[in-house]
Amino acid sequence: MKILRRAIAAITLTGMAAAVLRIRGKGGVPPERGGWRELTRPPS
Amino acid sequence: MSGSSVAVVGLGVVGARVARQLTSSSLAVFVHDRRTDLQEATARALKARTIDSPIDVRPSETAVVVLATPSRQGWLTRCLVERGVHVVCTSDDVEDVRDLLELDGVARTNNVSIVVGATASPGLSGLLVAELASRVDVIDEIHVGVHGTGGPACARQHHRALANDAPGWHDGEWISRPGGSGRELLWFPEPIGSRDCYRAELADPLTLQRAFPSASRISARVSATRRDRLTARLPMMSPPHAEGGLGAVRVEIRGSRGVERRTEVAGAAERTGVISAATASAAAVSALSSDLPAGVVVLGARGLPNRALLDDVIKRGINIYEYVGSGA
Repeated sequence: MKILRRAIAAITLTGMAAAVLRIRGKGGVPPERGGWRELTRPPS
Repeated sequence: MSGSSVAVVGLGVVGARVARQLTSSSLAVFVHDRRTDLQEATARALKARTIDSPIDVRPSETAVVVLATPSRQGWLTRCLVERGVHVVCTSDDVEDVRDLLELDGVARTNNVSIVVGATASPGLSGLLVAELASRVDVIDEIHVGVHGTGGPACARQHHRALANDAPGWHDGEWISRPGGSGRELLWFPEPIGSRDCYRAELADPLTLQRAFPSASRISARVSATRRDRLTARLPMMSPPHAEGGLGAVRVEIRGSRGVERRTEVAGAAERTGVISAATASAAAVSALSSDLPAGVVVLGARGLPNRALLDDVIKRGINIYEYVGSGA
C-alpha cells in the first residue's frame, strides 16, 4: 500500500511538473525576425 | 585524350536539360538514350549528334560523359574511366555513390576525374558549404535539407529513401538511423518556406564527409508529408509525375570564428531538375577545361574551383540565398 501511494505521488508530481513546463516552457520557436536574401559573396 | 565534346547519357528531366545547357554554351554534344525516339527528337531539337551506346564514346572526340541515367552508374563509369574519359555522375543513390567513391584509384591511374554527385543534393549542397566555409574558421557541423524531386526516377528514389536507413556522420563515426525519424522543421528559401523534414537514405553525408573531413557531425534530411512517411514502406500508390514541382536545397553549417559560435545558412529554390542540370553542366564544363584534379571529385572539396563552379551554376539561372536574422 505504501509503495502504491508513493508511486501515485511520484506520477502526480511528474504530471504537475510536465504540465508547468508545457504551459510555461518555451520550446522551439520559429524565427520571428530575419529572412532570406540573395547571397552576398566576398570579392575574389 | 584530346576530345572537345561532351556526351550526355540519359535524356530524362536532368539529362535533357544538361544537353540543352551545354549546346547553348556552343559545346559539341553527343546524346544517348535507350529510348531511340526520344534520343532522335532531342538530337534534332538541340542540333546534337547521337551515339548508339555509351560504350561507343571515343576519347579522341569526347572528353567528358555526363551520366544522367536512372540506373546505377558505377559499372558504366568504370568502363568509361578505363577508356580515359572524364565522367560526371548524377546518381544520388547511396549504394551507387559508395561504389563510385571507390573508383578513385582507377580514375587516378587513367588520369581522369569522376565527379560524384553532381546534382542538387549532393552537388550544389557541397558548393554551398564551401561558400559558407569562408565565414568560419572551423566547421563543426553540416546539416542539409532537401525538398522536392526531379523526374520519376528521382521521385521513386525519394520514396525509397524514407523507408531505408539514413547514414550520418556523428562525432567521427558513421551512424545509421531509421528513415522517417528525426523530424525537424526547416526553412527553405521562398516560396517553399517551412517544411517538416526527416532523416532518409540520402547520399549527402557520404560526399560531404569526404569534402569536409574536419566536420564532426553531418546529416541530411528530406521533406515529407505524413502520407509519405506512412506509405514509404509500401509500393508507390500512384505513378510519379513526369517532373516534380518547385524544389529546394538548404545547407546549414555550424562552427566558430575566433571565440564566436556561428551558424550560416544558404539555399536555393528552383525545380530540382533544373538545379541538378545546372550543377552537372557546370561540373562538365569544368572537367572539359581540365580544371578538376584526377581521381574522384566531390563538389565543395578543398582544391576544387568551387567558387567558379558556383558562379557557373548561378549564371545558369539558379539564385542562391542566405538566411539572415535570428536563429536561422
